[in-house]
Amino acid sequence: MAEVETETDRPVPDELEESQASRRRGAEPEPQKGVGSRWLWGGLALPGIVWLCLLFIAPLYVVLAIIFGGIDPILRQPVPVWNPLDWDFSQFNFVMGRIFGPDPYFRPAMIRTVAYVASASLICLVIAYPVAYFTARLAGRWKGLLLAALIAPFWISYMMRMLAWVNLLQTDGLVNKTLSAGGLFNVHYAWLQGHSTTVILGLVYGYVPYMILPLYAGLDRAPTAMLEAARDLGASRFQTFYRVTWPLTRTAVVVSLLVTTLPMLGDYFTVDLLSGSPSNSMIGNLINNSVLTPGETGQAGAFVLIVLVVSVIPMFIYLRSTRSGTDIAV
Amino acid sequence: MSTLSPVSWWRNPWRKPWGLMIVTALYLTWSLLPVAVAVLFSFNAGRSRVTWQGFSMRWYYGDPLRSVWHDSSLHAALVHTLWLGVLATAITVPLGVALALGLDRWRGRIPSGANLAVIVSFVLPEILMAVSLLFVATVLVSPLKLGTSGQVLGLVTFQLSWPVVIVRARLLTIGRDYEEAAVDLGASPAGAVWRVLMKLLYPAIFASAVLVFADVIDDFILVRYLSGDSSTETVSIKVYNTARAAPTPALNALTTLLLVTALIVVTLGYLGYRWFTRGEKGAGAIDVFAGES
Amino acid sequence: MGARTGPAHDRSRQLHRRTVLRGGLLAAVGVPLLSACQTRTHDYGELRIPTPENPIRWPLSKKYPIIESGLKPQPGSVLRIYNYADYLSPKMMKDFEAQTGVDIHLSTFNDADEALTKIASGNLGFDLYFPSYDSLGKLIQAELLRPLNQDYLTNAKNLWHSFDNPWYDLGSRYTIPYTIYSTGIGWRTDLADVNLSQYENPFDVFWDTQYTDNMAILDDWHTAIGMVLMRNGVNDLNTTNSKYLEEARVALLDLRKTMNPKVTIQMYTDMPSGQYGLAQFWSGDAINMPYYLPKKTPVDILRYWFPPDGVGEIDNDLVVCLGQGSNPVAAHYFMNQILDVTSAGQNFGFTGYQPPLKQFTPSDLVKQGYVPENLATAVVQESDFKTGLPLLQLPVTAENEYHQIWQEFKSGG
Repeated sequence: MAEVETETDRPVPDELEESQASRRRGAEPEPQKGVGSRWLWGGLALPGIVWLCLLFIAPLYVVLAIIFGGIDPILRQPVPVWNPLDWDFSQFNFVMGRIFGPDPYFRPAMIRTVAYVASASLICLVIAYPVAYFTARLAGRWKGLLLAALIAPFWISYMMRMLAWVNLLQTDGLVNKTLSAGGLFNVHYAWLQGHSTTVILGLVYGYVPYMILPLYAGLDRAPTAMLEAARDLGASRFQTFYRVTWPLTRTAVVVSLLVTTLPMLGDYFTVDLLSGSPSNSMIGNLINNSVLTPGETGQAGAFVLIVLVVSVIPMFIYLRSTRSGTDIAV
Repeated sequence: MSTLSPVSWWRNPWRKPWGLMIVTALYLTWSLLPVAVAVLFSFNAGRSRVTWQGFSMRWYYGDPLRSVWHDSSLHAALVHTLWLGVLATAITVPLGVALALGLDRWRGRIPSGANLAVIVSFVLPEILMAVSLLFVATVLVSPLKLGTSGQVLGLVTFQLSWPVVIVRARLLTIGRDYEEAAVDLGASPAGAVWRVLMKLLYPAIFASAVLVFADVIDDFILVRYLSGDSSTETVSIKVYNTARAAPTPALNALTTLLLVTALIVVTLGYLGYRWFTRGEKGAGAIDVFAGES
Repeated sequence: MGARTGPAHDRSRQLHRRTVLRGGLLAAVGVPLLSACQTRTHDYGELRIPTPENPIRWPLSKKYPIIESGLKPQPGSVLRIYNYADYLSPKMMKDFEAQTGVDIHLSTFNDADEALTKIASGNLGFDLYFPSYDSLGKLIQAELLRPLNQDYLTNAKNLWHSFDNPWYDLGSRYTIPYTIYSTGIGWRTDLADVNLSQYENPFDVFWDTQYTDNMAILDDWHTAIGMVLMRNGVNDLNTTNSKYLEEARVALLDLRKTMNPKVTIQMYTDMPSGQYGLAQFWSGDAINMPYYLPKKTPVDILRYWFPPDGVGEIDNDLVVCLGQGSNPVAAHYFMNQILDVTSAGQNFGFTGYQPPLKQFTPSDLVKQGYVPENLATAVVQESDFKTGLPLLQLPVTAENEYHQIWQEFKSGG
């Protein structure tokens, strides 16, 4: 095969130059100019699309049919009602009434969820950013090893990590023993008896790996030249961070926050394992307690609907503000 | 040559970042030490999980009633977890790769809607999908039943976005030049995809398979809600149920075994990825495991 | 990439709108399709509630006929048991497996509500289930149980006479009794200094703020609310009186706020490991505690209290054969095994819960060392069933109210 000639060697026809120029400008690639017809790509995508419709979209309608459906009188199991005209709003109104109406006894759990998730995410960010920064920029030859160690929690079962902490935090466990410093003090704190701090730290422990990796990816991509330029021009450490590093990595931070915060909203097992007390319930616990309780299944569906709406809105806002939303690459 | 004054030491931009190093070291310790302790106690000779009573393999195969080898509920959980991992990965990866290819090239309203659905399924809390599928399983008569079938169907739906994201990112970097060259040389469009594009995508496919497997064997909410009887309980369910009761170190042994399996799979995956991308610029970068899109 | 404006952006906005419209159209088509999907139907008639004053003889099930006599369990077949965790002796199950060649699969649930939902879904195929009589009527009326063939239950002669013809199941057509237990107060003297005589109503101890952060109550709605009713002086634990329920609700919420209790059923391991010093206890768990105590802790620090006049929560659990199971013969054999003296002894040794068998006279249990002296009050006497307050099935509206109170309690609201 002859040597590949580069663009600079021979004159380029106008249309080719135009498309290359538009690609360099970073515009959307032209539709339908590539290989293959709609049928090929459509055929490839169809099984996946059908799967998602049947198992992701359609079940959401089943949830609606149950929220607005009935309850059988003997076993108190849900009876779905498919026709929207026959829907019964009593279960939904019941849940809404207990959040916004008089005697709102679901509201504390919702507020608590927001508080826990917000605190946990913030703490995650404070921990994850320096670690990701160090690994991406300053680790040198340890980078690969560090990254492996940071990725490790992903394939260590979440349950195993939580179990390990439950063990350590028991009243006769290693944490209290270490704090007692071999008999100097007598620390007998009941970490697992319904304390918010334990739950928040548990959430942090569980979800901080999810935050580190997108941050690492973003920090890795940030151009070193800019940071060096800032230092060369006399900016102090903090000024460089505040004026150069932080704005460059803001997108990565937002992405990592989304990836960490949204799954945390549905968490219930961390509370179950680290606190046996109902005063720490999150909305995940509300769902979990009611979904298998006869007579309360519709209410579980209502909570699920609330979490759905709350999760989807920030995501839509984010997508609207950054791109048209037709691309999936983040 | 820097002077020894503390101020100039602080101001030196090229000094070793001790602060960050310590923070990172502390984080790694905090992150991995509890797990190391749990693994250690799986070799405990006594029943306690907090007091060391000597070294023994009792909880792996020694104890005739409660070791992982003899207690059928424990090793059944391990086997079921791995089986779910294999099944779910085997379905998710081809489905996801085909979906990624299709969505990337097909323009129109259906694919943009599907795109949106994939993004939403990627970020939604798992409990939403679990509850909706549980409802389907309990009120509708369909192939989705509580038990392995429900668990696999649910897991595939939940994990589908992973291969899509990873493969599409890779497609962006590959571009269309190779297929167009193949078609110019006489291949059919489908042949160009199969013979050229697929080979280029091997690393991404491999990486997504490893990620999906590691995620599936660790899954809790979906497999718990869609579980049937005890033969469909996975290790995470067993841990959750037993952790609040009277666990023995056999539980630590079980999770250690799962840990070792996952480690083997991930290592194989990493080595396979390096092999597939050998000779490629920037190959072997562990970044793809970081879910970099 | 920054935000996009211009024609391309508007076009994608239109795409979004059209996608939504298309989705709506799809839904309009899909809904009738979904309605055509087969759903499980429910139509069981009026709810009948068995009580000691109103015993019921249940009609035999039309859906699940009684199995033939004289059959043997098939070696290699599977027996699926659905029970609480740690409520069946592993040794007893292994012995049964060795004797009959049947493979036992034990699945566990955390509470009876969850169990009922999973059983109602139908496709899990459990053979044996361990309910109490507060859900028995529902199970029978929903046609979920298979009536028993008494020819297989040769060991039924071991039962106490009072269980020959129980009020909840005249003729023992569907059930055999499993264990008997009371619900009282348990504590350990080194972690909680408890003197019940100082309270007008001993259950007031659960509201005594000196035990804040140091106590637990049972994670069972009826058991917990029953205790609160007793503390309020209401001895009808199945009351439908809204005023009493409202007072119970207030007291329960007050308990959570001032005492920060743990809500669990793991008292039998939590208290021995020192997680808290005072808790609401099932008698069997109390008897079981010494097994979980660390070796250097003496057994005599444990205490259990039940009203001396016998007016307290008394119940028994049952074993039933589910119709959805595929191995009813092995199920009958296992039920017979439970009534066997040796196996019942093994089970008692493991779970701590008393079997109502003639050979296990309550007075002997302490004498023969099965139960330590300091826990002698945890042994249930036959006479307790005459004075005791059972937890019964509730009518639908009342059950709704109880559940609502419990949900409010558990939501931390």
